[in-house]
Amino acid sequence: MALPSISAIALNNIGKIMTDNSLKMTARDVSVWYGDKQAINNVSIDIATEHVTAFIGPSGCGKSTFLRTLNRMNDTIASCKVGGKIELDGSDIYDPKMDVVQLRARVGMVFQKPNPFPKSIYENVAYGPRIHGLTKTKAELDALVEKYLTRAGLWNEVKDRLHESGTALSGGQQQRLCIARAIAVSPEVILMDEPCSALDPIATAKIEELIDELRGRYAIVMVTHNMQQAARVSQRTAFFHLGTMVEYGATSEIFQNPRETQTKDYITGRYG
Amino acid sequence: MNSELAARAPTNWVSTEMTSRIAKRYAAERRFRLIGLFAVSLSAAFLAFLLYSMLAKGFAGLSLSFLTNSDATEASEVGIWGAFKGSLLTMIVTLGLAFPIGVLSAVYLEEYAPRNRWTDMIEVSINNLAAVPSIIFGLLGLAVFLNFMNLPRSAPLVGGMTLALMTMPVIVISGRNAIKSVPPSIRDAALGVGASRVQVVFHHVLPLALPGILTGTIIGMARALGETAPLLMIGMRAFIATPPTGITAPSSVLPVQIFLWSDEVDRAFIEKTSAAIIVLLVFLLAMNGLAIYLRNRFEQHW
Amino acid sequence: MLLIFGLGLIAWMAGRGRARTLALAASVRPHSLPTQHGWYVALWTIAPALLFLAVWSQVSNGLIDASVMADPAAQSLSTDLMNRDSILGEARSLADGSLEAAFNPAAEALVKPYATAIRFYGSIGAVAAMLLAFAGAAYSWTRIRPKFRARTRVERVVMGALLGASMIAILTTFGIVASLLYESGRFFSMISPGEFLFGLKWSPQAELVAGQENGFGAIPLFWGTIFIGAIIAMIVAIPLGLMSAIYLTQYAAATTRKWMKPTLEMLAGVPTVVYGYFAALTVAPMVRDFAVILGMENPSSESALAAGLVMGIMIIPFVSSMADDSIAAVPQAMRDGSLAMGATKSETIRRVLIPAALPGIVGGVLLAVSRAIGETMIVVMAAGLAANMTANPFASVTTVTTQIVQLLTGDQEFDSAKTLAAFALGLVLFIVTLLLNIVALRVVKKYREAYE
Repeated sequence: MALPSISAIALNNIGKIMTDNSLKMTARDVSVWYGDKQAINNVSIDIATEHVTAFIGPSGCGKSTFLRTLNRMNDTIASCKVGGKIELDGSDIYDPKMDVVQLRARVGMVFQKPNPFPKSIYENVAYGPRIHGLTKTKAELDALVEKYLTRAGLWNEVKDRLHESGTALSGGQQQRLCIARAIAVSPEVILMDEPCSALDPIATAKIEELIDELRGRYAIVMVTHNMQQAARVSQRTAFFHLGTMVEYGATSEIFQNPRETQTKDYITGRYG
Repeated sequence: MNSELAARAPTNWVSTEMTSRIAKRYAAERRFRLIGLFAVSLSAAFLAFLLYSMLAKGFAGLSLSFLTNSDATEASEVGIWGAFKGSLLTMIVTLGLAFPIGVLSAVYLEEYAPRNRWTDMIEVSINNLAAVPSIIFGLLGLAVFLNFMNLPRSAPLVGGMTLALMTMPVIVISGRNAIKSVPPSIRDAALGVGASRVQVVFHHVLPLALPGILTGTIIGMARALGETAPLLMIGMRAFIATPPTGITAPSSVLPVQIFLWSDEVDRAFIEKTSAAIIVLLVFLLAMNGLAIYLRNRFEQHW
Repeated sequence: MLLIFGLGLIAWMAGRGRARTLALAASVRPHSLPTQHGWYVALWTIAPALLFLAVWSQVSNGLIDASVMADPAAQSLSTDLMNRDSILGEARSLADGSLEAAFNPAAEALVKPYATAIRFYGSIGAVAAMLLAFAGAAYSWTRIRPKFRARTRVERVVMGALLGASMIAILTTFGIVASLLYESGRFFSMISPGEFLFGLKWSPQAELVAGQENGFGAIPLFWGTIFIGAIIAMIVAIPLGLMSAIYLTQYAAATTRKWMKPTLEMLAGVPTVVYGYFAALTVAPMVRDFAVILGMENPSSESALAAGLVMGIMIIPFVSSMADDSIAAVPQAMRDGSLAMGATKSETIRRVLIPAALPGIVGGVLLAVSRAIGETMIVVMAAGLAANMTANPFASVTTVTTQIVQLLTGDQEFDSAKTLAAFALGLVLFIVTLLLNIVALRVVKKYREAYE
């Protein structure tokens, strides 16, 4: 059994020491300000591969904001400042020498409301590989598009209409298209910001199934409003409240045996 | 986990091929940004160059005698007062015709018009008229006002009527936007105390929409002040040596005067023409400035 | 006229007064305010009288002329129509005081009958108008009662005025189309539409020779208009306008955008005659010097390039403003989706935003082209009068709008083929710009619906 690393001991509120899983991303004492207002307060967390990590908590408590620090999407907001250290495979992602383009290809994102480009289904999936130059021939690109559409569970439904517009699909199909688009650049981490909140229950079930399949290859971080979904889908859960991370640990522990009273109150529905 | 979707070799982000490609992409990004900056700067530079060249050429020509004399044959004796008074009279006629018609039309279309074919036709007419080239209005003025109605050529009355037809759609469109922006709650409150439809509009909605309407009117009038082609069509091309006596007397307007002087061979006219341009631009700047001031001061965000 | 308005004012006050006294005396609450009753009476006073005067002024002209012709002094007039009309006109002007001295002695003899007739018929008209005004006032005044619905009636008149004002727009459009068609119809009875629309030679003559080509072929004009307005001006305006819009929406800091956007709009506010002068005075010589450097012999001082360049500058804000609106209308989620995948900003703009905003941008370009081809002063002052079918930008070409101005200035008889040709050109211009505008608006509308 490996000795707990120093970084693991330094983590606040960790329920279980992570041993046999590799740490993909680590965050230490991360704080985020929008202008003068502080939105995130000293959050530290580990993201592991082949795991789904869920962020839960009442709305407006900073889950999405924190998620966006992981792929530097907060850079697009002028008044946003990030403090602390976030590392991907040991390299600081906020280091000026870090290539944002590369980072965002390695850490993909799926948004709350499906946002396919107004292009054909084929072009949506081919967009990432095209700009990063991941394939050399058309045949390679075709194979890649087929592969990731299959992996996203969409291939059979769209294989005859690859050149139709992506926006003509139903909500659930659009979200699966966005997932296919995100994984087409072979990211190592996938960030999902409430991916099912705009979808009906059947589509939601399909996406949850997909997430479970994808977990074998990628590290997935999912923000969700829906506690039951977190309990179904994730292995590790972090509970956020008003910009701080209150508790973080194995999902089963958080839901059955939470250590903090705040967590217990939220889980049992005393406030929402 | 479907293992038959055999993994492609994971992307090597640090290979020389990939790093050089990414470097090229960043270089393209920088170039693109520079082109954008260049485009904006070039456009602004054109404007600056134009203003500067007019100012440089014409500043010396500005003098009290220039501002009070009328047109003459000698370059040293010309002034813009005649043309300026003509412009003033024409603007008065234009405003007097276009403003009431424009505002009343805007009120009708926004408040009272039922959604039927007639209303659609009116709307389509107005939108199209707003985009018709100004010279066509000149042809209309020539055919109808001069030849059919036998009004006097080159008079501010005819010029004003022609320009009023051209300015009216602008006032209608901006008036409609101003009226549209008054929230329905105001109208509901007025109706609730028993005001009739006419009273609701004239006592409540119009006063609130007035700043927006005025802004649009001033901008439309500024455009009309600078128009040349339609007035050439109705005959304002003659040499007028004395300021006009009334709205039916033959006169010129400032832009037409500039046009006529630009044709003069005598090089001394260059200074005078540029000076006249400066006067015209100063007035337009003042009018646009007034419009912006009005908008900022009285605009209410509901 | 003034008397009528004065009467109207008195009527207004009287009507209001009566309404007030009646209201105080009666026990039932009056329907309308006293002021509204006042308006009612005033309208009844003024409107019939004004209407009568308008009709009478037309009718009385005929009556006056008839009575003068019956006068013995008129028997000695020549039977030549034009001569007679001019003498009559002179006599008339002498009679009503707008002319001081007579050119034609025959006119002097006619002054007295004219003066008498004018006075006679004028007084008839005035008296009748006053009678009408009084009658109207009396009639309406007696109708004032507390229960009388004056307000509704007045408001109905107001509504009528509103509707009338709106109809002016239709009337104007109708007027434009009618006058253009009418005059063009007269033109096409002299010159065949085929020669006009497809002919290659433009050198309009006042004297028409039947049966042969008369130099009214407008193709060189169409070409010149397209060359300057749709080609050269667009080569300048589209890149500058589009890239400016992209820079201001995507890259510029908020303060930069706040100052630069109005500055660009100012380009559209400069009067076209100023642009034309600038083109002729400063740009054209520069272009000519440039042509000399390129090795051309004897380049013209009026060139398509000079006019086209300046026109392009003027059109920049039209393109950039539409492009700005279209790009800003693309949902932020699109941009975020692309950036989150590791695309650079320029890649996102080029591959996602511009294709998404394309219909709006195209609509803006079409509107800009429509504006450019309708532009007159810049081309009149900088492009020249030679009807050339050349593709050489340094040569002098002419456009539809230049020729319209050229044909209609100067002392022409209104009915000659030359002046009517201007109307035919105007008709073509009107139709083309109308089509461009309709297509542009439809494109933009469809695009807006896609994002609603």
